[in-house]
Amino acid sequence: MKGYHDIVGDGGSRVLEQVADQRTRITDGLAGVRHLVAVGSGKGGVGKSTLTLHLAGALRARGLRIAILDADFNGPSQARMAGVQGALFVPGSHKVALPRTRNGIGVFSMGSLIPESESLEFESAAQGESHTWRATREFALLGEILGSVEWGALDLLMFDLPPGAERTVQYADFLGPRTSFLLVTIPSNVARGVVARSVAALSKGPNRLLGYVENMSGYFCRDCNAIKPLFVSPEPFDAAQGRPSGLEIPCLGTVPFDPELARLCDTGIPLAELPETPVGRALEHVAQQLLDTLESTTPASAHGSRELRPGKEPRR
Amino acid sequence: MKFLCVPCDSPMKLQTVGPPERGSLSVVYSCPECGYEMAMLTNPFETQLVQSLGVRIGPDASSTEGTRAGGTSCPFAAMMPATEVALPDQAGEPIPVRWTSGAEARLANIPEFVRPMARTGIERFARERGTLEVDEKILDAARDFFGM
Repeated sequence: MKGYHDIVGDGGSRVLEQVADQRTRITDGLAGVRHLVAVGSGKGGVGKSTLTLHLAGALRARGLRIAILDADFNGPSQARMAGVQGALFVPGSHKVALPRTRNGIGVFSMGSLIPESESLEFESAAQGESHTWRATREFALLGEILGSVEWGALDLLMFDLPPGAERTVQYADFLGPRTSFLLVTIPSNVARGVVARSVAALSKGPNRLLGYVENMSGYFCRDCNAIKPLFVSPEPFDAAQGRPSGLEIPCLGTVPFDPELARLCDTGIPLAELPETPVGRALEHVAQQLLDTLESTTPASAHGSRELRPGKEPRR
Repeated sequence: MKFLCVPCDSPMKLQTVGPPERGSLSVVYSCPECGYEMAMLTNPFETQLVQSLGVRIGPDASSTEGTRAGGTSCPFAAMMPATEVALPDQAGEPIPVRWTSGAEARLANIPEFVRPMARTGIERFARERGTLEVDEKILDAARDFFGM
């Protein structure tokens, strides 16, 4: 009697072929993207989305072609922060055009599709029991988005990941080895501990770990025009004084908290419209470090060897 | 999953997929050698598992008219009332906007979960430009205006 592997095809359902076709569509759709960078942490509330958007803004200001995919489908925040809540998804010739912010960053966020008063719901034949299938459905949705959006020629596509160390690894598996990871922590031993778990888990796979950013490293007091402590940690990280973070990956910079920046995020105003501040300079530094790291660790044979340089302006 | 006709030692072929009923699919296979038919009846969890992969099940799975396992083809069907907004004119009645076949074809190419919002948004864009017809020129103009 024949066994499973003796039979070619599956009799007509084509389930495996469809999954393979989807992977091909994703690969083809991202062929024009030079760098894929997932911004994750493992810990929630550390500012992944804010950093993602403002790093994208700093890079866009240098003329690079940047897009963000808000992969946090259940808590999308990029649409509001980037000012694309009412974005119009326009059918292109074969795929859907990527909405852009007013400073030219492409943003796909479920927050553009689903009002904040609604939660993401999938039709379910199982009538509940979502713990058994929901993650699979969300990754299928991610695949559908990746395969059906016109990403075009980009210097950098940033994935704003949801929290959860195990989710971070799942995204690494799904996005494949082309995707590099930038992790975000805050000066708290609790946060660093969770991020350290993400580092440990990601280190077992093929994805490149670019480094981490310590966010909320103090806050910028406009009255004093000085950075003041925000967290009291037994072992505060201080690169200048050689105090270790406990994370075995490079620190690409520290970014203080600025209430004004938070206000801009809530109202969808780009950082570029904020007068120069220590926070803006810190973000500029991290953006440069990110570029340098991407260039220094990209094999010359992979995805071309040209340096990141300003691209053409997006079509208006 | 594959099915083998044991007497013929021959792989069975998918014939039909019955419409979902209370979360269950009826997938009929037959043996090309002896014609014997059997039906795979999924429970809702099995249906959902396949649906979660984002694939379609049917004799011609590549067809856009195929049946998606589990019911309607839009994963956000339950949310459509929240995203599909009719735009009333000044008298409170919706202004019908006609779509050319070319524009409809382009709309059909984009993900189903985006379509309702795309349709209403494009129609609003067209009205704002004084036209009640969406053709490919309008789509191109909207793409240039809003997209990368």
